[in-house]
Amino acid sequence: MKHIIISGFLFLNLFSYLHAQNIISGVVGDTRGNPVFGANVYLHGTYDGATTLEDGSFIFSSSQTGTVALVVSYLSYREYRREGTPNEFVNINITLREDLNSLDAVVISAGTFNAGEKARVSVLKPLDIVTTAGSAGDIIAALQTLPGTQNVGESGRLFVRGGDAGETQTFVDGLRVPQPYTASVQNLPSRGRFSPFLFSGISFSTGGYSAEYGDALSSVLLLETRDRVEEEKTEISLMSVGISLGHIEKWDKRSLNINTSYINLAPYQVLVPENLDWNKAYESLAGEAIYRQEFKNGLWKVYTAFDAAEFDFNRENIDTALSQNVKLKNKNFYLNTSYRGTIWNNWQLFTGISQGHSENLTSLDERNIENQENAFHFKANLGKRISNGVRLVGGIDYFRTGFEEVYSAAPSPISTSGFNLQQFAAFAEADVLFSRNLAAKVGLRYSYYDEMEEAGISPRISAAYRINENAQLSAAMGKFVQSPGQDYLKFTSDICTEEASHFILNFQYQKERRLLRAEIFQKDYSNLIKFETGSPGFNNNGSAYARGLDLFWRDDKTIKNLEYWFSYSFIDTKRDYRDYREKVTPYFVAPHSASLVTKYWVQAWRSQMGFSYNYSAGRPFNDPNTTQFMSGRTKDFNNLSFNWAYLLSSQKILYFSVSNVLGHKNIFGYEYAGTRDLNGNFRSRAITPTADRFFFVGFFWTLSDNKASNQLENL
Amino acid sequence: MDKLIIILILMVSGIVRGQGNFYDGMNKGMELWKTGQTEEASAIFERIAAAEKESWLPNYYVAMVNTTSAFKEKDFNQLNKYLTRAQSALDKELAKHPNNAELLVLQAMVHTAWIAYDPMSYGASLSGKVSQLYARAEQLSPENPRVVLGKAQFEMGSAQFFGTDLSPICTKLERSIDLFDNFSPESSFHPNWGKNQALESLSNCK
Repeated sequence: MKHIIISGFLFLNLFSYLHAQNIISGVVGDTRGNPVFGANVYLHGTYDGATTLEDGSFIFSSSQTGTVALVVSYLSYREYRREGTPNEFVNINITLREDLNSLDAVVISAGTFNAGEKARVSVLKPLDIVTTAGSAGDIIAALQTLPGTQNVGESGRLFVRGGDAGETQTFVDGLRVPQPYTASVQNLPSRGRFSPFLFSGISFSTGGYSAEYGDALSSVLLLETRDRVEEEKTEISLMSVGISLGHIEKWDKRSLNINTSYINLAPYQVLVPENLDWNKAYESLAGEAIYRQEFKNGLWKVYTAFDAAEFDFNRENIDTALSQNVKLKNKNFYLNTSYRGTIWNNWQLFTGISQGHSENLTSLDERNIENQENAFHFKANLGKRISNGVRLVGGIDYFRTGFEEVYSAAPSPISTSGFNLQQFAAFAEADVLFSRNLAAKVGLRYSYYDEMEEAGISPRISAAYRINENAQLSAAMGKFVQSPGQDYLKFTSDICTEEASHFILNFQYQKERRLLRAEIFQKDYSNLIKFETGSPGFNNNGSAYARGLDLFWRDDKTIKNLEYWFSYSFIDTKRDYRDYREKVTPYFVAPHSASLVTKYWVQAWRSQMGFSYNYSAGRPFNDPNTTQFMSGRTKDFNNLSFNWAYLLSSQKILYFSVSNVLGHKNIFGYEYAGTRDLNGNFRSRAITPTADRFFFVGFFWTLSDNKASNQLENL
Repeated sequence: MDKLIIILILMVSGIVRGQGNFYDGMNKGMELWKTGQTEEASAIFERIAAAEKESWLPNYYVAMVNTTSAFKEKDFNQLNKYLTRAQSALDKELAKHPNNAELLVLQAMVHTAWIAYDPMSYGASLSGKVSQLYARAEQLSPENPRVVLGKAQFEMGSAQFFGTDLSPICTKLERSIDLFDNFSPESSFHPNWGKNQALESLSNCK
């Protein structure tokens, strides 16, 4: 009725001053028959047109004659075009088709957390990695505030959904990073090797990931370096643990970033003694560079990093009651170069290689372990959008890992071990958008491992359905394989790959600046490596399961200047692998973990202050004094961290952080002696953090033409 | 010869009619915008842009109308709609006129609208771009009052944030007002806005 009145009114109005004009009218709707409000309807090449009303109707006049084109355009719909004479365009019905590649189409979210500039629904923002209290600029530590991860403080690595740290693979610009963590020894935590500010996008998948990525059982961490830099600048950092210097040089189509840093923990340890007896505190010299060049149809990037680190300390030896000397020297080199561009007929080509080289010399008293790893990755992908809603991509991977280890403990003879593993893989995947509300991704990955002479096919599928503008459901499942770790391969090639299957169901609700995610998962492992203590044989008879619930809530809206997120994970998992006597919850899994991260901006003080609180329930450990395997439970883990960034001026920042403010005496687990003492007991020793609290003070100074630029994003 | 004259006459009259059309169309758009009918105004400018490929002004106003609306918007979906529309109109013209200072200023405003909506998400990645855009616009057109104003306003935002001295910025604002007084646009549709904003910003300086 309203429609008729409005149309009639317009008619009268128009007729009063129009003559010899054609009236063009009609209704615009979408494929489901809903009216489209606010679409622009006009005759191409003229100014004659109108916008549609709430009921989708439009009416206008034109003095055009002959053949004209009627065009209807509206955001997120494909442009409608129809040729004809103006008098044909009376009371016409127009159906607009959705542009499936538009911004508001559904995005598959099962298992994946996206952070950074390119993400539509960002779980973490670019600054979050560095401003999360307790993360100290470590990407890995910031990711541990997300659900699905385990807080394994004595390791510092990513343990995802009942998986071992070795089950997560890291990729930079699509290419594998064989040594993503700094070198360390048992029970001394390592850090992620990469400075977070190099990356414009981080995607962390806790399962169900694309067929593009292989040789990972649990999780992939995808880091994308920036495609371009905006300005030239020099950055100087003076920190309680060392110094660093960075510079960005920019030309028309090229740019170069260089960063160097020198870290030495000795002065810090004089001021704040640790629980360890250091002979030589951690010292490292590192440098990295990124070169980018733009071509007419593509972008070429080279990323390279080098670091050398060493330390030396004495620790109590539970077996001898004497202290044991532990020394480590590590050198690491990483090169990654890739080209991304368009070729021929809109085919998108990606190709690149990465090479990682790592040398470690570990000494435990008189025993020396010297090893070298060389890992190479070649990758080429070709993709094309073949229609509005379908994109195909296929590619190949070639991995080669060479590992060599020399063990010497005079007077015993020197023993060497090693392996050379080649792996070839190919994948094909289709992304299909059925409508803006329904999408699926279907892929297959074929892989062949030469050392084990083993081939297999892994299918992966995921889908998402948008319930309404703010809510969506996604699901993912697939099969994943990974070659056994170097600890086994260096001894034998008579084992095969380990396998896992993932099933994930995800619900996501997002409105304004609030985000809720809930996910349930089931993961089944088979072919895990097992061995008997004291026997040289390895087999693939291990198995495991993991199931649980992950919750994530982020709110940047309710309280002005406050951003916070809360994560909770529940996991039920049992694993029979390595030398386990039976299927039990492994030492690195706490059934409940939670974290709360807050950031508050105080304008009057020009400061950002943040608190992070991490909690995990007690983790299992094996007490040989009891007959039951892995029946011990540590006490709960608690950590409250605080940080404060103060802007001295627009280009000078003072930064302060402290971890474990409340000084909880956390215990990660227990070590037991190999033999009984005089009372017939196995003596134990708690595995604890190297220090109860860690203090960090830094001064960050940026020199650039743009006075508003500073290093807040680097902290 | 006769034929040629007729063709010439037809061409001239065609152009004249075209110009009259352009004038009326643009005027109509401006009027709708002034009376708050931003959707309709944006649609008219879009239609003119589709018909007049040589002029960058219609798309400039598509971007301008939508960016102005975005600054007042609190809802993400709506803001995203405005700024996507503004960006795609700007993309078309910046590809043709990469050295047009007015377009660069407007591009800086589009980024600023994102930063204003959520500084924590967009500040780090876009504020560098904004300063680069103003620096380039200043190089191309140092006497353009909107370049001087936009740059000063952006610097004022960060100076207020960091609590630094505003007086050099106030001097720049005063200079922009002088430039506005002496500015004469190429046509009645060429950008000629900003003096009121400059006066208002200057009043915050004291």
